Amino acid sequence: MADDDAISGSVLAEQPEALVGFLRLYGTLWSHGRLPQSIKEVARLRNARVTDCAYCRSVRFEGAVADGLTEDRVVRIDDEYASADELTMREKVAIRFTDHFLRDPGGFTDADRAELLEHFDSGELVELAAGVALFMGFSKIAVALGPPPEMPTTVIPTPDWPPHS
Amino acid sequence: MGTWLPEQAEDLPADATGFDRAFGLRPDLYGPFREFYAVFWRDRLVDPVVLELCRLRVAQLLGCGSELQVRYQPAASARSAEEADFTEEPVLTDEMVDELAQWPTSEHFTDAHRAALAFAEQFVIDPQGIKGAVRDELRAHFALPEVVAITEALALFDGFIRFRLVLGVEGPTSLTVVDPSDLDAPLP
Repeated sequence: MADDDAISGSVLAEQPEALVGFLRLYGTLWSHGRLPQSIKEVARLRNARVTDCAYCRSVRFEGAVADGLTEDRVVRIDDEYASADELTMREKVAIRFTDHFLRDPGGFTDADRAELLEHFDSGELVELAAGVALFMGFSKIAVALGPPPEMPTTVIPTPDWPPHS
Repeated sequence: MGTWLPEQAEDLPADATGFDRAFGLRPDLYGPFREFYAVFWRDRLVDPVVLELCRLRVAQLLGCGSELQVRYQPAASARSAEEADFTEEPVLTDEMVDELAQWPTSEHFTDAHRAALAFAEQFVIDPQGIKGAVRDELRAHFALPEVVAITEALALFDGFIRFRLVLGVEGPTSLTVVDPSDLDAPLP
């Protein structure tokens, strides 16, 4: 799930207080966080691929594109990502973290933790973990309740709070 | 130490949890999270017993022992079926918790509980499989706004129990009752 309009116009509007709560958290994370938007977008798109949310896969956030996450880099967020020259080491570590989060959240080893801490400070890791929690949870909502129609790859405004008028 | 993270939030109340100390490293995010999380109980978007059953079942599926030690107050946690007979409020009984993994056959659950738990399990394991009977049963027992509330709450439970696990957040080792109105208050 991705842009404010698609979310606000979805069935989630049946619970307006919860919707505002989500939009406030999601907009803050995206537009007022400390992690670069390209890192969060890489994690979001990796989740979209694993969770198999067609809508989530098709959207891109403007801020991440401006941050340099071009399509020739997005296509490398596949199962061969570890050998992709187009992705930075921090992006690859974020993908590995996302995979752990989705597939084996309790299975972190000391080596996994050490690698994370080489590339992210504690506050950044909290932001990354909270981001992946929301990306996963809300893409599962889209799948469970019936996603918006599939669409071609589309760049949309980055979620923000307060929202842009 | 509340987590394997090398830092943790400081200047928190003495009763701050491991979750507070980890997520509190980012008060800019933790504040909005707490407000969002509290809405489901505070505004009673759906029967709090249904919420609690879903949260506890997600914790069981993900193997998060510390989450299983938490109860949210509106569900009037851990009361016996005998006690529950004397109140008009829906309550979470010890028998429900003890037999949660046996919900399809246990006598302690209503058809509405079973519909929500079937949906919750499929949500965690494979949301692509939510179709047909699972969806129909949920809609038979809950109005659309309640379905939305259950689904959003599941997204939070699934996402932030995993958050707890990946960051190695320590939780309570004995039963702890949380008042969701505390979540509405900002951390100092």
